[in-house]
Amino acid sequence: MNRPLDLYDIQGNICKGYGRFGFPKARYFFLEFHDSGFAREFIGKLLPLITTAETWPAEGLAGKPRSTTNIAFTYEGLKALGLPQRSLDGFPQEFKMGMKPRAAILGDDGPSAPEHWDPVWQGDRVHAWVSVNGQAKEFVEQRFSEVESLINQSHGGVSIRPGHRGPDGNLLAWQDASAVYENGKPTPKEHFGYTDGIGNPYFEGCGNNPQRLAGRGKLTKEGKWAPLATGEFILGHVDEAKEYPLAPEPHLLARNGTYMVYRKLHENVQSFNDYIDNLARDFDGSRDMLMAKLSGRWPDNGAPLTLAANDAEKAELDARMGQLKAKADDGDACAAGQLQALQARWIDFTYEQDKDGARCPVGAHIRRANTRASLETTKEAFNSPSALDDRRRLLRRGLPYGGEHGAATDESEQGIIFMCLGASLERQFEFVQQQWMNYSNDFKLGNDRDALIGANNGQLTDKHIVQADPQGDKAPFFCTHLPRLVETRGGDYFFIPSITALDMMAQGIVDPT
Amino acid sequence: MSNRSGKAYALTTLCPIRNGHEGNMSFDKITRHRIQLLEEDSGSPFARIPNTYFARLFILNDVFFEQGNDVHHDHLKSKYLVFTSNFHGDLKPYLKGMWDNANDTVRSIWEHAVAFDKVRNSDDFIAYIRKCQLTTSLFFNGSTDDELRFQLKSLYIKQAFSEFVLAHQNKSTSELRTAFNEFMQQMQSDNLNDVSWIPGQTRLSHLY
Amino acid sequence: MSNVAGKAYGMNVITPLRWWTAVWQKIAFSVAEHFPVKLKGLITLSLIHYARWTIISRNSFPRLEKSQPKETLNYSYMLFESNFNGSWDQYIDSFSFAIPTGLDFFWAWNIKYPKSIPLHDFYHYIRFNQVECDHYYNAYPLASANDVKSARSLFHNLTQFNAETHDLSDEDFAVAWKKLLVSNQHALGSMGEGPAMSTSRELVLDHRCTNHKISQQRQQQEA
Repeated sequence: MNRPLDLYDIQGNICKGYGRFGFPKARYFFLEFHDSGFAREFIGKLLPLITTAETWPAEGLAGKPRSTTNIAFTYEGLKALGLPQRSLDGFPQEFKMGMKPRAAILGDDGPSAPEHWDPVWQGDRVHAWVSVNGQAKEFVEQRFSEVESLINQSHGGVSIRPGHRGPDGNLLAWQDASAVYENGKPTPKEHFGYTDGIGNPYFEGCGNNPQRLAGRGKLTKEGKWAPLATGEFILGHVDEAKEYPLAPEPHLLARNGTYMVYRKLHENVQSFNDYIDNLARDFDGSRDMLMAKLSGRWPDNGAPLTLAANDAEKAELDARMGQLKAKADDGDACAAGQLQALQARWIDFTYEQDKDGARCPVGAHIRRANTRASLETTKEAFNSPSALDDRRRLLRRGLPYGGEHGAATDESEQGIIFMCLGASLERQFEFVQQQWMNYSNDFKLGNDRDALIGANNGQLTDKHIVQADPQGDKAPFFCTHLPRLVETRGGDYFFIPSITALDMMAQGIVDPT
Repeated sequence: MSNRSGKAYALTTLCPIRNGHEGNMSFDKITRHRIQLLEEDSGSPFARIPNTYFARLFILNDVFFEQGNDVHHDHLKSKYLVFTSNFHGDLKPYLKGMWDNANDTVRSIWEHAVAFDKVRNSDDFIAYIRKCQLTTSLFFNGSTDDELRFQLKSLYIKQAFSEFVLAHQNKSTSELRTAFNEFMQQMQSDNLNDVSWIPGQTRLSHLY
Repeated sequence: MSNVAGKAYGMNVITPLRWWTAVWQKIAFSVAEHFPVKLKGLITLSLIHYARWTIISRNSFPRLEKSQPKETLNYSYMLFESNFNGSWDQYIDSFSFAIPTGLDFFWAWNIKYPKSIPLHDFYHYIRFNQVECDHYYNAYPLASANDVKSARSLFHNLTQFNAETHDLSDEDFAVAWKKLLVSNQHALGSMGEGPAMSTSRELVLDHRCTNHKISQQRQQQEA
């Protein structure tokens, strides 16, 4: 058991997906350090603005700031700040290399190859990432100006590195991101039309409501959900292998910090729509059902296929939800409870009853990203049912970007700012990206790739299998010629220090001696 | 204690290398260099040796010292050429296949092995390897024990058939049937020698 | 030197154990051989083509001639050899996560074996005692053990289907075809080259290409 976390020492984006807490707008910008002294001074001045992981009320906006601010550094950035060599040497290899040289591992080839990335990523000059989230755009702008004025006071020691491709192909100094709005309200949708960002992992001490544990933690031998070890996500704490994650020295530099992946993932919306429209003609089911068979969740409300595997079941589920909601609205407490229990099943499920993938295809996106104990194909073969998953979990952060300017095509700017956090970039993000998204041996599906984010190239064998019920009379359905639906447009690996470490970095007193 | 699992065989051999040198190169280094120069994959001499699933060659220079006050310090007096292989079938025919099909390689790699100068023919070679063989304590077969030609043929057909299925998903039954008949004829499923992957093949050619 | 051949990684680990505990270790192996439940974890992981453990007793290092010096060793040694799918880290990780007690059982009597959890001690133990392959050959670089096994069952199902469906009506054929596809839907993953094992491995492949180009240039110059 880990002791309670010092939430005031941990940056807020580690424990919270701000989007879910009522911050649908964000601006990400990247800093370049030109003078380590002034850069350190800047960090010291920024420190009071940094949002910590202190607990907020789950509902409503009272007790929350109007905007948040967080900062993280690349390896080059830590070097530019003048961290001692011995501290630098303690960082893991993939972090030191950065994202570009990892292209062969990550499947960043063809249109996703680093030479096509936004200009901000060319060269090795991205030193820090700063994010500002806000309850509304104006609050983002306000906070951004505050940070900007600190930059202006840095005597040229810090500058914003421009070069983010914007809506008209123009280059911007920052990357704006926003939830997709429908009828004036922010939604959890992304630009293909899927409901995204459901089911982040639950770890010990994360400060989230324990009611959120089921479906988000790990599965024990007894078949119960338990929180994942803190050390899977935050350095300086014990992880699932009963040890402290590898971390740089001194302890105070690493403790309560973690690593972050930032990726700008462009979505080829036109290609997606054309592909789905075309395939839907041959598919025995609705367009929505076909979309669900690729992702594992129904696009409209994110219901998992384990709960409703086809159009008829989905209609039934929707009707039941409608009835319960109506009754609950009328004050029926029993119905309200049932509704809540039903909604919990959006997250709380496994593939135990669906080994063949007849409901949720074995290669569906959510089944790849979070295997939910399905790799233990023989009961009690492993130490625990989710033993192969527990060390591959990702804390997903980020928001969609673009898409505000009329009909989306492949050329227009829209996609997802994908961010994920964890104590090991290599063991968690890189493994999932390489072995589970762009390869399928663990699923016994050969070289098939994820239909949505895989590095597919439109060939016959770039495919996704929608498995059929072995007892039924239907054939499996093959989604062939999958095009490259998502392209990487940039990104890097970052270290998110604790408040203590930031303070020490600002003072220039990080000392592993 | 068995070298076998069904028809799959696990061969483990440690062949001592003579202590000595030629110019500035000791015999173990010459041997290692020759091994490292072997072509890989379909160009490997093992691709020519029937029924080899996996094989490896390395030089064991010494054993490891596990560090600490409470541990003895062991050293080997000879360096060993370690040759191990997983294959289908019996040892004798396998080694005969090795001698017959990779003779130059065998002679060159084993040239400096102790007492190998007395090896003149396949019977000598079999006897030699058996003297260097160690019994496997536990052999885990996580694959199949079929003939290699069958493994390769079935892999070829797996590749071809999945491509066939994808290419004919929306065809009428009569079209599908005609195409399937043609496909099966093309596959020659009884013929393990042709229309197959070759040993060590690293590139695919697609059918559709 | 290469421990990689296509989708397979060839691992050799040689570790000392006391000569008398070597006997117990052998007994442990024989237990595993006769009670396959001990191997359930390995089978379910399904990452290994073939693996073996060989105990080399301290006086059984092959000695072929009197001129060859006799080994005088304190310890017996265990040689572990595995042909598995995935990179080194992935393999060690998966094994340590999924079947830590199984691993501890197979290395129970080895000197200074740290147990498979915590992971980093185990990592160091394996790396420290690993001997690299100078040549590694894999008959099917494009296939994982899963592919080989599913190809086998698909082959039998397909040839059987072919033999049994010749005389069927079109209607019955269509039904049988659907059945064939459903019962083999997990054997129809696409085939291809495996994912990059590591950036170091990619670098070696680059060097090989460069060497090849240089030697071609030299040949042309000489010609």
